[in-house]
Amino acid sequence: MSRYIILLLLNVPFIIAGLVSTTINYKLSKISKLRFLFRAAFWLIIFVGLASTKTIYEFLFSNKLTRTEPLSLFDVIEITGIIGIFFIVNKTRARMHNLERKVQELNQELSIKLSSRD
Amino acid sequence: MVKTSRSSELAIILPAYNEASVIKQVIKGVQQVFNATRYSYKIIVVDDGSQDETAKIAVDAGAYVIKHIINTGTGGATATGLSYARKSNVKIAVTMDADGQHNPKDVLKGILKIEEQTADLLIGSRLTDKNGMTKIKLIGNRGLSFVTYLLFGVYVSDSQSGLRIFSEVALNKLRWKTSGYEFCSEMLWRAKQQNLRIDEFSIQSIYTDYSKSKGQNNWNAFNIIVALLQRRIREIVSE
Repeated sequence: MSRYIILLLLNVPFIIAGLVSTTINYKLSKISKLRFLFRAAFWLIIFVGLASTKTIYEFLFSNKLTRTEPLSLFDVIEITGIIGIFFIVNKTRARMHNLERKVQELNQELSIKLSSRD
Repeated sequence: MVKTSRSSELAIILPAYNEASVIKQVIKGVQQVFNATRYSYKIIVVDDGSQDETAKIAVDAGAYVIKHIINTGTGGATATGLSYARKSNVKIAVTMDADGQHNPKDVLKGILKIEEQTADLLIGSRLTDKNGMTKIKLIGNRGLSFVTYLLFGVYVSDSQSGLRIFSEVALNKLRWKTSGYEFCSEMLWRAKQQNLRIDEFSIQSIYTDYSKSKGQNNWNAFNIIVALLQRRIREIVSE
């Protein structure tokens, strides 16, 4: 199997997960339309970029714009790793942000409730 | 002076952090001005996790004190004060600095202006009467107002002013996400998003060595700009 196909197959789950999560959040009114469009466009650009890796490489090589070797198995693992880490970091950051907001709200509500008892 | 048993019409909120040396004087100053008016009011001090006697002194001076369990920053303390005011069903809420920088007479002037119902959020601008403000602070404040305009499309001459007056509509609608000094600019943005009418009025600032030492360091302006940029980008790309 071509390494370009392997690259695409390994990364498609991240892209699908990103798109599904964005769509669910939008449908549940958790994010605005602008944010939904931005995030959907982001994952689609990654998909198009990965799907056209071979075409881009061949174009650059034939026009003598690059002299690098074709995609190696190490490159496939590396790119998949970067996209995977990006996916996880983004999820973690969003969760951390929500947690921070909840702690702040808790501090606020608790402070008001405790002050009324004094 | 008319004092009734009904709930207060006004909430005067003082977010405070380690202000033990001046808080009594500030509360007494507000009481002196407002006791001579027709308003029933409540002074709410939000002690943002002070390590000194701010809360105790404020209670003794006659204020209602909300003590934050952890220090959150001036934006968080202001949000707590306004949340309490909302629950108390007040008609108008005011925030002012607890370091004695604001003149309570200016607060009264602003309340009279907001009662005319021409604005929902009124900002007390220190930049129309610059008495005592150092040039570097002036540049910093003007710069932050400009950045606020660039990022959020809202222009007021003194976007970082702590003296703000909220109509009942603004009080019920306004929420923000940042908890540090950057909340001043974010609040203006949220007000614009909620279609609230924003206006400003001229106030006099009382600069003492104490209030100068408590005010924002100019270098903090860079932190504020970075935080505002992050907030603006985060609004588009993440949850």
